[in-house]
Amino acid sequence: MSRILGLVLAGLLAIGVIVAVGVSLSGNLAPRSTTTVQGVIGSEKQSFFQDAGVQAVFRRNGLTVKVDTAGSREMATSVDLSRYDFAFPAGVQTALKIKKDRKASTTYEPFSTPMAIATFRPIAQLLVANHVASDAGGYYTFDMQAYLALVARNARWTDLAGNTAYPAGKSVLVTSTDVRTSNSAAMYLSVASYVANGGNVVADDATARRIVPQVAPIFLRQGFTASSTDEPFQDYLSIGIGKTPLVMVYEAQFLALEAAHDRALTPDMVLMYPNPTVLSKHTLVPLKPAGDRVGSLLRSDRDLQRLAARYGFHPSDPAVFTAYLKERGVPQPPQLVNVIEPPAFEQLETMINGIDQLTRGGG
Amino acid sequence: MRLWTVLAACLLGVAAACSPSSTGISSKPSTTLQVMAGSELQDIEPLLPDLEKATGYRLKMSYVGSLDGAERIVAGDRSPLAWFSSAKYLTLLQGGSGRIAAQQKIMLSPVVLGVKHSVAQGFGWTANPNVTWADITARAKAGQLHFGMTNPAASNSGFVALVGVAEAFAQSGSALDTGTIDAAALKDFFSGQSLTAGSSGFLSTSYVRSQDSLDGMINYESILLSLNQGGQLHEKLDLIYPKDGIATADYPLVLLDRSQRAAFDAITQWLRRPEIQTRIMQTTNRRPALPEIKPDSRFSSQVLVELPFPGSIDVVNRLIAVYLDQARPPAHAIFVLDTSGSMDGQRINSLKRALINLTGADASITGQFARFRQREEITIILFNDRVYQSRDFTVADTSASSPDLAAIRSYVNTLQAGGGTAIYDAVYTAYQTAAAGMQREPGRLYSIVLMTDGESNVGRDSGRFLTDYNRLPAQVRAVRTFAVLFGEASPAELQQMANTTGGRVFDGRSSSLSQVFKEIRGYQ
Repeated sequence: MSRILGLVLAGLLAIGVIVAVGVSLSGNLAPRSTTTVQGVIGSEKQSFFQDAGVQAVFRRNGLTVKVDTAGSREMATSVDLSRYDFAFPAGVQTALKIKKDRKASTTYEPFSTPMAIATFRPIAQLLVANHVASDAGGYYTFDMQAYLALVARNARWTDLAGNTAYPAGKSVLVTSTDVRTSNSAAMYLSVASYVANGGNVVADDATARRIVPQVAPIFLRQGFTASSTDEPFQDYLSIGIGKTPLVMVYEAQFLALEAAHDRALTPDMVLMYPNPTVLSKHTLVPLKPAGDRVGSLLRSDRDLQRLAARYGFHPSDPAVFTAYLKERGVPQPPQLVNVIEPPAFEQLETMINGIDQLTRGGG
Repeated sequence: MRLWTVLAACLLGVAAACSPSSTGISSKPSTTLQVMAGSELQDIEPLLPDLEKATGYRLKMSYVGSLDGAERIVAGDRSPLAWFSSAKYLTLLQGGSGRIAAQQKIMLSPVVLGVKHSVAQGFGWTANPNVTWADITARAKAGQLHFGMTNPAASNSGFVALVGVAEAFAQSGSALDTGTIDAAALKDFFSGQSLTAGSSGFLSTSYVRSQDSLDGMINYESILLSLNQGGQLHEKLDLIYPKDGIATADYPLVLLDRSQRAAFDAITQWLRRPEIQTRIMQTTNRRPALPEIKPDSRFSSQVLVELPFPGSIDVVNRLIAVYLDQARPPAHAIFVLDTSGSMDGQRINSLKRALINLTGADASITGQFARFRQREEITIILFNDRVYQSRDFTVADTSASSPDLAAIRSYVNTLQAGGGTAIYDAVYTAYQTAAAGMQREPGRLYSIVLMTDGESNVGRDSGRFLTDYNRLPAQVRAVRTFAVLFGEASPAELQQMANTTGGRVFDGRSSSLSQVFKEIRGYQ
């Protein structure tokens, strides 16, 4: 039944496209009428929304979805949300803050992705030998506690025992984005603050302020950090081990390339999972009724769920994800057990503001 | 089902290909977009007609120094796009103002040291991956390595190199802060700097001209590779990638006007197409930014450790100030200024303003960096139909209340216009001043600025000047004259002066004298 429906829909779509081509060649007549929906999203989902397949699914549901990108934190603070039908940040805390501020009735969590560290096999093995990482068979885990201890004593790569793989004099640091603007860095801070707080989520402002001096060095000592998560990942892919031996990414960024058999990934590029890690739950907040339709389609439409898997995101139905990776011949990512909850928006803000003040103090 | 999906996607592709912008079916003209760009992007211009054909966007490049550009952007410049070798300074400078709407890296080039092959061989540096910045510093300090580098306050290659060297000397392994800037080590390193310039391209030209008295230069890998491929070098340069780290320029195209998002996406997607990335690599010697295109054999396969970049604008500005006031070889700047009758009124006032700005009146960031610096010597030679007794000033104090700067200001304020124009006599006097200065202080970097608003009509003519100039010792002839074209000055006369001495002509008719003098400071 759904197969026949699919055929019919695809056929209708093709006719629609032919008509649209005719229209666009013959003049400036308006195309088949759809409702235009305007959203603001985190930049990590931009290619998903630009995907022709994604746009086609929305169109056959009568929607033309246009998006602007903004940092998650900006979305909750400085972006003028009155212009948008929905906001779609990468983190649930930001979404809850927006929901509360804008008195939205609901939120949608159509897909998620865990935080991971993109690295190179020789680096991973070096860290295993130094008890900072472990080989879990097919992937690595990264011991956040041991890492924070390395940072606390300002360890260089050359300080690691038996290091012939990467004899660089610079500090052992995971490259992240700017914690003041980027969600992935805020996720990284969530994990680091949990570990620094003795294995507890930072739940009040006093604790947040107390934790800042312990976690600030992982950002400050990096110096300049980019504002979007794509940038350090691009550096990892094109400049490589010399610039970014370890880079904090969304698992989705790596998986998407792997599933596409993208030649940018070389055989020595591997993923490590911080232990503990945290999920980036992409959460859509409808601000107007049209935005609500986008959220509901993203959560329920099988094609959209499948397309999300193509971009490396875990859709709400795990079977869709498993099937897609299997079809692409990509190993299934691990079932992570040690996953923490990030602090509430307010405590994250307190910590980020504390780090910002230290940055302005001259690092 | 799958067949249909493919067909639908195909048709979508056709639809995209049929849009007027990409096929040129429509007679609709291209959209022109202004791009504020670094001068080293001139080698991208040959690609632009194809970019326009493919995307319907014509990029109109206007070239400006990188810090100057960053300052203009933050001040609200209306260019929708910017394209410099790095956007880090702009990112730090913009703070929370969010001028950068999006950015995408287009190509890569590390800033490295090129050393003449015989010199590198003598040092044991050829094909040696273990050379450090400390090794380079030791050679510079011993007087065995004389190199050129651009002014970090004017040009990005010098800026990137300065940050790299300072990071390496800080030895903290982490990003630099104001407390870890090692001025003494920087001074040792820059004791080897014998040539400066306001842009990477001009540095390369100056190096070719003075190559016999230099051992190498710090520049983009791409420029060094291009020089080695061209036929202008007497001796090829070995590229040294210091083991403790280098810094790489990543040439991001930056979107400033959010409403041009579609144009930005189309342009960056085209520039990052595999065949265009390959073409960029082949024609500009820059490494591709698209990871699936691997750098070919022209590039070193050595792992390049990337040094961190400072995380705050205060650290960066402090570092540039340390370079200018303490680390670089001090300058001796000779200004040859026309006070002939035609300069009367508005013109002489513009000249006074331009000079007084250099004593601290211009509070902009680039204005602050362009100021007369600690340890600098300044000579002002006034001329009309005769050449007046020159006045020397030495700057020890650069504070707002500095008596040194006050002395320059009060002298400048006495300028009066009247009489004829003896250009060649005045410039020859400047060369004699430089020659005398070199006797006393050979370690300074000498330069001459000639500002005139007319043609020479008294004293030496150009032929006599050339004869006298050619009799000067080689190191005096190497002093470059930067000529400011103003009023009714002869472009041909000044261009010839620049060609003879290896200098450059700056047009003071189309932009203000203040702007031009500020720009020239990058070359002193």
